Amino acid sequence: MNEGDLQRFERVVLPHLDDAYTLARYLLRDEHDAQDVVQEASLRALRYFDGYSGGDARAWLLAIVRNCSLTWRKRRRVDDRTVPFEDTAPISTSDADAPDAAVVHASEQARVQQAIASLPDEFREVIVLREVQDLSYREIGDVVGVPIGTVMSRLARARKRLAVLLQIDAREAS
Amino acid sequence: MQCDSCQAALEARLDGELSMDEAREIDRHLAICPACARQFATLDETRRLVSENAMRYNAPDVLKARIRGAVARAASPTVTASTRKTLRWWREIAAGVAIAIVSSGITLVTANRSAVRYSAEDELLASHVRSLMPGHLTDVLSTEQHTVKPWFNGRVDVSPAVPNLDTAGFPLIGGRADYVRGRVVPVVVYGRRQHMINVYAWPSSSPGGSPPNDLSRNGYHFVTWRSGGIEYWAVSDLNVAELHTFVAMFTAAH
Repeated sequence: MNEGDLQRFERVVLPHLDDAYTLARYLLRDEHDAQDVVQEASLRALRYFDGYSGGDARAWLLAIVRNCSLTWRKRRRVDDRTVPFEDTAPISTSDADAPDAAVVHASEQARVQQAIASLPDEFREVIVLREVQDLSYREIGDVVGVPIGTVMSRLARARKRLAVLLQIDAREAS
Repeated sequence: MQCDSCQAALEARLDGELSMDEAREIDRHLAICPACARQFATLDETRRLVSENAMRYNAPDVLKARIRGAVARAASPTVTASTRKTLRWWREIAAGVAIAIVSSGITLVTANRSAVRYSAEDELLASHVRSLMPGHLTDVLSTEQHTVKPWFNGRVDVSPAVPNLDTAGFPLIGGRADYVRGRVVPVVVYGRRQHMINVYAWPSSSPGGSPPNDLSRNGYHFVTWRSGGIEYWAVSDLNVAELHTFVAMFTAAH
């Protein structure tokens, strides 16, 4: 690789390391594994940089991070710590008398975090790519390697589960 | 529009994936159908709650530095290969020398040493890159100069300066003992954004001081200077100008 390509790689790909790390954190649920995978994915991205056609570099890097994460999980045989889904299991909520805003926000974050973590892998990845990384259906389809229809149905099912887990029921709209 | 086809398109409506016409059609239905409207509101609230509260993580600086180091190294494979070859060659010579010493009792070490001597930059670059690999950067992880400096006592035979440059934007990260140029040397580690700066120190052959001097290799920069009989080398992938600023701060502070 010549100096120009290296500089282009540093300019185009490396700015997305935070997003890459965020995705790896969600997929692997371990900060050290996530670090190793992001490093591995970055080097793989460098190796395949010739094949990068100039589209959205972020989605391109995220696809590599996802593949590396899957390989990592298989290799490490990480026991699947997914919490089995039960329709009747709400995330614990504290109903203290007058919680202040920061506490509410913190518990809201924890609730959401726990709900996302409890999703099966194939639902968690589309939710993170959509709600956290803000990718379009097409980009999510490219990253995950499935048709847009599959992206939509997974996203719909993931959101239904999240709505139950987060006890969202918009009665006021009726 | 039927509720079935409306519900199938709610997600896409929510995610802005519909055309204007399609979206308008859905909205018209939502305005007259409480059941679909309620489902849409539930979805919308779920999406809002999740996207507003889900954590976004920052990749740790050390990870970024490690990746930049690894990328720079991987991008110049010829250097790595030739370094490895040199190392192998060196090992063979060393083995040969060992046999020669044992069998004849003649010491060839001096001759050998001058034949395959690495330059200081080669060794420092190798050490710097090695330091960016997981778990190699610091032996003592501390942002406190009064922790790092005493840590070197008894480990190395020079006492390097460990100024606090926090306010100048060069936070102290820690220190380690490394093996460079045939001796154990102290290395003080500073950070600058996602970059790492390794500062090596060893006793200088000539006393007194000398002004900073810089050189570059493989995208890494070196600044060396002498102060109080100690030779310092700062190594980083930081740009030369900022590395000089760092050295100026460093020398001014001790």
